[in-house]
Amino acid sequence: MTDNDTILSLRGIAKTFGEKVALKRVDLDVRRGEVHVICGENGAGKSTLMNILAGIHQPSAGEIVLNGEPVRIPDPIAASAHGIGMVHQHFTLVPSMTVAENLFLGRQPRRLGLFSDRAAMVDRARELSLRYNFGLDPNAPVGQLSVGQRQRVEILKALAFDAKLLILDEPTAVLTPPEVDELLQVIDGLRARGRTILFITHKLREVKSVSDRVTVIRHGESISTHRTADVSEADIARDMVGRDVFLVGRKGDGAARSFGAPVLKLDRVSMTNSHGRLLLDAISFDVRAGEVMGIAGVDGNGQTELSEAIAGLMAIQGGAIELCGRDVTRASVAERQEAGLGFIPEDRLDRGLGVTMSVAENVAATNYSRAGILRHGFVDRGRLDAFAASKIKEFDVRGAQASTPVGWLSGGNMQKVVIARELERDPALLVVCQPTRGLDIGASEFVHERILAAADRGHAVLLISSELSEIFALSDRIGVMYSGRLMRVLDRAVADEATVGTLMNGGEAVAA
Amino acid sequence: MNEAARSFLRAIGAPLGAIALTMALGFLLVASITDEPVQAYRDLLFANFDSLGNFALFLNRATPLTLIALGVIFSFRAGVFNVGGEGQLYAGAIAATVVGVFFADLPAVILLPLAVAAGIAAGAFLGWIPGVLKVRLAVDEVVTTLMLNTIVLLFTSYLVNQVIRDTSAYGAVSRMVAKSIWLPPMPGVPGATSGFLVAVVLALVTWVVLFRTEWGAQLRAAGINLRFANAVGVPANRRIISAMLVAGGLAGLAGALYVLGIGHRFEQNFSPAYGLVGLTCALLARIHPIGALATALFYAMMLNGAAYMQISTDVPRSLVNLLTGLLVLLMTARLRKSGLRG
Repeated sequence: MTDNDTILSLRGIAKTFGEKVALKRVDLDVRRGEVHVICGENGAGKSTLMNILAGIHQPSAGEIVLNGEPVRIPDPIAASAHGIGMVHQHFTLVPSMTVAENLFLGRQPRRLGLFSDRAAMVDRARELSLRYNFGLDPNAPVGQLSVGQRQRVEILKALAFDAKLLILDEPTAVLTPPEVDELLQVIDGLRARGRTILFITHKLREVKSVSDRVTVIRHGESISTHRTADVSEADIARDMVGRDVFLVGRKGDGAARSFGAPVLKLDRVSMTNSHGRLLLDAISFDVRAGEVMGIAGVDGNGQTELSEAIAGLMAIQGGAIELCGRDVTRASVAERQEAGLGFIPEDRLDRGLGVTMSVAENVAATNYSRAGILRHGFVDRGRLDAFAASKIKEFDVRGAQASTPVGWLSGGNMQKVVIARELERDPALLVVCQPTRGLDIGASEFVHERILAAADRGHAVLLISSELSEIFALSDRIGVMYSGRLMRVLDRAVADEATVGTLMNGGEAVAA
Repeated sequence: MNEAARSFLRAIGAPLGAIALTMALGFLLVASITDEPVQAYRDLLFANFDSLGNFALFLNRATPLTLIALGVIFSFRAGVFNVGGEGQLYAGAIAATVVGVFFADLPAVILLPLAVAAGIAAGAFLGWIPGVLKVRLAVDEVVTTLMLNTIVLLFTSYLVNQVIRDTSAYGAVSRMVAKSIWLPPMPGVPGATSGFLVAVVLALVTWVVLFRTEWGAQLRAAGINLRFANAVGVPANRRIISAMLVAGGLAGLAGALYVLGIGHRFEQNFSPAYGLVGLTCALLARIHPIGALATALFYAMMLNGAAYMQISTDVPRSLVNLLTGLLVLLMTARLRKSGLRG
């Protein structure tokens, strides 16, 4: 390999934050025009590595060689000047601005070098959106878009920048299967035009379908680099986790299951927003004790509203919700918790956690009296810390102490904190939304095990996910939502991806 | 314990550094305008402790500042940017005065609690209005608390001038409240209100309530992330309104204790912007109740010290405004160690 083929080389990159070692030693060669996947568990250092390339962090040791020249990347502007474009995992958009304004934020087309040329900006945004088939309205405020659409704006922003080396930090974490396929096609197109793409993911299907080569990072070290064609998904998974991985699931275990009485009953639940648009359209279903009911659907078809209606966070305008035999249609969140609700919301940072509060306070939030943390009505600091420590151990929350702000943890470990808190109540019904969004294999495996274990203990589980593989792996029955309607509920035994996929797009499945 | 001590040192290191730097810069300034910079600075910092009388005035100054700062801490911890301390203070003062003037015949055991309760209730009511408006109608609390300040200031001005004015006295002051309910001075410090002891106790109580009760944890959760608080079943709206009730109540108590312990009557201009200074104390203490007690004492020392300095040297007392401004700047612009994580 000559220098000409290599656009980027990292030599012995290390990074420490105080006493915490984020990267020990990473070596990486990225060839011009390839799609190179970086794989690794949460906390392995993928994001730190990418932030170093994007100029957000400075390496503590090592060398970055770009186009054969050693470079320093002191800040994100320098990264742009070097032709490195970054799509972040968490959105970096201004919700009150339109799509077009977000795309050209800080680099609007100018008229007379002074006034921003809105017409040109909107035209260019529309043209970009069309070119990549993103179907975005340039004049729509970003705050009104669905999570999936916002992600597309985020990706388009980097594409608009015309970067030579495009870094995508888990771009598919929030996309639906068809959207992922579209993105993978876009990436193919970019590669055909000679762009180099560095793609961070832990979804093995994407690794196999999109990449030329794959580098696995574990505990801050680059473990291996392979041509993707030469390795199997199992090989990559083993490198990532450092051991053999068993993907859990109910599919094919052959066990005959019997379920108890319905724990959750929805009867013609309807919700309209303030503009009179129907968000939930007369949804009725039951979830029985010991059963995992999966709700599949493309993001933004009412799943969020459904989960919030059941959790008591959004009011419904019609129908009734019954939980453990109690009518909770008008009940507060606390009353529903009392009746047996456990709720794992889809957005950990938004609904799930108070990110600046400590791990202890987050895990204790609803559990002060239940977990015996109070003494004579006051919080006993020793008991609080002991409770947190026991949960940290039980749920394998890595890098955490009781007093650690929960926002310092990686996504997977944050999710473990949420799950630890909600399971502490031993809820009869567990509503789980997008539980492994943004999580890697190891953490997803852990989360899936916990969900199935809860069902096996006789809890009813409502699993809402836009990740079809997850729905299929865990569910006993599968409901499909489209445009606020529950299209159909299928038994796992008769459901297949084609049927569910058709229903997800609003079509009536042929296989009735 | 060692870990706790270290984190405590870390927490107070930055404010102490900022104060030291402010003092050093201020000294250069004083040296440039007077021949006796050492004398001026000595008066600014230590004249408060020259006599028992000065010390009493210093404690009297710190009392309303502490109580208002504690109120601000409650509201800020619940995520409400309450800048209505001044109005709540005035409401508490006028309510205690009205009760103390009009019901002067009641025995002290009834009248004193009644006057204090009236002050607390008036302040709490003034905190309740923006709290409810924010929670129910999403009205911005900065606007409502600021507006209420003006309303209350003008309303008390009307009351003191037209209804309860002491016509025999000079200036816009009310009649005296019943002497039976004047607060006793602090033991050992004649002239210092025992209200200061109340403020110290309430600082400790505030810390316990915020950091050692479930109610406090819920209040802070609502302040940190409202959507999170709702999702975990915290009655966040109720906590926010309660926090504003407590915040207003504490500022109202500051007004009532001022009237009962220091002024003995309502004076139109009794507050040198206690509301604003109390807010600054709370922010400098990083909305921590024990820290706020310290910053309130510091501000009281500076405010009174500036007066002594002006008397004995030719340094104008407005220097202290400059110093406190500089301090706020240094505190908020303090250097951070980059602690970003990937």
